[in-house]
Amino acid sequence: MNYFIQFLHSDLALRIGLIVLIVAVMPLLAGYIVLLERKILADMQVRLGPMRVGPHGLLQPIADALKLLIKEDIIPDTADKWVFWFAPAISVTTALSAFAFVPFSHRAYVVDVNVGILFLLAISSVGILGIVLGGWASNSHYPLLGALRSAAQLVSYEVAMGMAVVSGLLLAGTLSMREIVRVQQEQHIWFFACSPIAFFLYLVASVAETNRAPFDLPEAESELVAGFHTEYSGFRWALYFLAEYTSILVVSSIAVTLFLGGWLAPFPNVSWLKFLQIIPPEVWFLVKVFIILYAFIWYRGTFPRYRFDQLMRLGWRFMIPLGIVNIIGVGTAIVLAQQYRWSLARALLLCNVGVFLIAVFLAAVGQRRERILG
Amino acid sequence: MNLKLLLRRMFLVDLLKGLWVTFRSQHPRNIYTEQYPKDRPLVAERYRGAPRLNNNPETGETLCIACNLCALACPEQLIVVGWEREEGTRRKVLTTFTYDLSRCMFCGLCEDACPTDALELTQDFELASYSREGAIWDRHMLEQGPTPTRYTR
Repeated sequence: MNYFIQFLHSDLALRIGLIVLIVAVMPLLAGYIVLLERKILADMQVRLGPMRVGPHGLLQPIADALKLLIKEDIIPDTADKWVFWFAPAISVTTALSAFAFVPFSHRAYVVDVNVGILFLLAISSVGILGIVLGGWASNSHYPLLGALRSAAQLVSYEVAMGMAVVSGLLLAGTLSMREIVRVQQEQHIWFFACSPIAFFLYLVASVAETNRAPFDLPEAESELVAGFHTEYSGFRWALYFLAEYTSILVVSSIAVTLFLGGWLAPFPNVSWLKFLQIIPPEVWFLVKVFIILYAFIWYRGTFPRYRFDQLMRLGWRFMIPLGIVNIIGVGTAIVLAQQYRWSLARALLLCNVGVFLIAVFLAAVGQRRERILG
Repeated sequence: MNLKLLLRRMFLVDLLKGLWVTFRSQHPRNIYTEQYPKDRPLVAERYRGAPRLNNNPETGETLCIACNLCALACPEQLIVVGWEREEGTRRKVLTTFTYDLSRCMFCGLCEDACPTDALELTQDFELASYSREGAIWDRHMLEQGPTPTRYTR
């Protein structure tokens, strides 16, 4: 009994509790994010959204989950049964396990690895493997096309995303998720202000990475029925959905940690804003994550889908070169600040303006090519 | 090089404009959805829906004088009026009245033809039935009007 109480007070109990909480709450949370998305989209489209199940449709996710659980589970005759069975599991496990590396606050995290963000990026891109395998194993045209698109999209946007993250990491000087936030606390600035271009690149690339509109080509309803999960139904389909929404949360968590100061309250050194720190850091973290999530839904409600060549052109002609230039820019700024005793703010301003001019140049070249090629 | 267009593109002016449009339209004032089974929609005054045979509100007798003008006016010839002569007065008295809604196009010519305002196209719009025969209304149905299920929630 004594040991048990000791265990409860130990660090390990907190970690295990957090794991259980993540695994238990995430499916429910994903369901409610779906509801949130439906509601917000409905608002933007001057509709009401789900209203029938519970007050204002609040019980809709539960009804949906029940429906999906008891729905007939179809495996196509010619499908590769084992891969078909296994693919959604890959997506879900990677998406859920990514949360182990996300620090919700200085005290609430499962593990703090010294290569945390690297691991997060790696494991969240393994999730695409589930999509590719699922599309392949269905043995059907549309899923295969969806999977192919997904693979191509991943290859091009993972690079841009990596470049954006590296720019942030140059500023942080560490790969550990907790340390990144701690550095932002010490420097009294969130990194999106240091390198807005990197933040922009990351946001765009993460939309593409999670297969969301306007980059939702792998599941383009108007072109590919439902894309890679056309042949999936019932619970396995629900797993894909869970994976998709969990990975949205993961990429937004990375964005929040790297660029938006993680669990920190805004403006910690402004005295009349001290009251903001009464709100616990976990809540700040979630608020920021949900702001990014809202932006994702907002994009979906606003932007039409890219054509595939436009997607690739944007990725390879603009995002990746700009990412490389931005790394050079941020690196130069840091060298100027450390070696030549410039103030960091001045160096960053100069370098960001330089990078922006190069971005204008890139866009101008693209525009010219477009005009020539028609 | 069109510099204005280029800068517009660089600062994502068009995208931000689009985002502002969708953001603005979230105001609850804009919502246009009718919660149909819960709240019944208001139908326009001139809407022509289910036909009705009117009774005299004082005596409760039918206003129809079995003149057969509606049946003659109907371009689809879907109205069949049955009558018999009353003993003594030789007055026409309505016996049956059939109205085939499945063929009706709600043109309202029968309504216009009626000299006593007995036949009228009302604002009722719930005309679904489980069979084709259900769309053929007899005199009783026409006098009573459709009785759709009312949902409370």
